[in-house]
Amino acid sequence: MKVTLKIFRYNPETDKKPHYDRFVVEAEATDRILDLLESIKNYQDGTLSYRRSCAHGICGSDAMRINGVNRLACKALVKDVGNKVTVEPILGLPVEKDLIVDMEPFFDHYRSVMPYFVGGEENPKKEQMQSPEDRERFDDTTKCILCAACTTSCPSFWASGEYIGPSAMVNAHRFIFDSRDQAAAERLKILNDQYGVYRCHTIFNCTDACPREIQITKAIGELKKAIVTARLD
Amino acid sequence: MQTRKIPHPGWNLEYLMFLFTRLSGLAFFLLAIIGVMAALLMGARYQMDLGTLMRWTFFPNPNHVLDSDIPDVTFGWDNGFWQIMQFLIIFFGGTHGLNGLRVVLEDYVHRPFWQIVIKLLIFVLWIFMILVAVFVVLGS
Ligand code: SF4
Ligand code: FES
Repeated sequence: MKVTLKIFRYNPETDKKPHYDRFVVEAEATDRILDLLESIKNYQDGTLSYRRSCAHGICGSDAMRINGVNRLACKALVKDVGNKVTVEPILGLPVEKDLIVDMEPFFDHYRSVMPYFVGGEENPKKEQMQSPEDRERFDDTTKCILCAACTTSCPSFWASGEYIGPSAMVNAHRFIFDSRDQAAAERLKILNDQYGVYRCHTIFNCTDACPREIQITKAIGELKKAIVTARLD
Repeated sequence: MQTRKIPHPGWNLEYLMFLFTRLSGLAFFLLAIIGVMAALLMGARYQMDLGTLMRWTFFPNPNHVLDSDIPDVTFGWDNGFWQIMQFLIIFFGGTHGLNGLRVVLEDYVHRPFWQIVIKLLIFVLWIFMILVAVFVVLGS
């Protein structure tokens, strides 16, 4: 079948403002949108720019707006999006070129929640054990691949880039609810802020957008509860 | 996972208003239920139409029942208990609503200067609303 792609283009070195280019590509229903972008880049227009790496939904580099919805280009199939496809960069982050956005503001928020394990004493004598139930408690939020589909689908983030955003909170949740971690209180203090959990108005766009199907709004709800009750359960 | 206690993450306006929004939402339901139940127990079914009953439920002011078939408004309807109820309803409803406005406006107004101006305006509006409420509740 023939698929028509309308792609957002912007080259800051030559363009005053962005425009859209149209490409027609021969494709199978089971092809991925990433395959079509590759085909355009290889055979029609080598200047088309986008990020990709694994092409298997695990590196998180190719989140983009496909027909208005944040998705990974490597997980979106032609049969799921139709034969007229609009591809645009994710919203709320500055566009660097075509479909590539500056991810630094996103990673700044990520780094601000201490997204690493904070253990107890140094060189402990015994192994720090964790029961399967305790591991299960934060299993969902371990799945994040930092693709930014959630944060850039969130109207609160569009309204203010200062909002820490769902992805950073997912990654805070991952460690806050880890029974071996010692820095839950510190992270909750960071989130107990005007631009922390309180900017989440339970819109659920993040949950819909997540390619890993993480229950993001639920995780944020658990963080809100932990802050209000000063308990982790 | 066992419940673990952690040190309180600290009090701030956002924290307090987050709690207040949830509690006042519940309180509003409770107050409305008390209003409608009490009115029905005092015979509202035979003495007022649905509109009057609703006005009483959401703002139990004796002015709202003066024109209905209630024979003696001073009896049961016009007393200190209902004055407190009126005030609580205005306080919870108004504060809940104006705080909501503050939160929504923060989504649209980003310049720190205008944020302060608008927050100040909302605060003044809130004080004004409370004063009017006291005036209406005591004056009726
Ligand atoms: S939570 Fe989901 S949508 Fe958000 S960054 Fe992680 S994987 Fe992507
Ligand atoms: S290319 Fe790695 S997630 Fe799509």
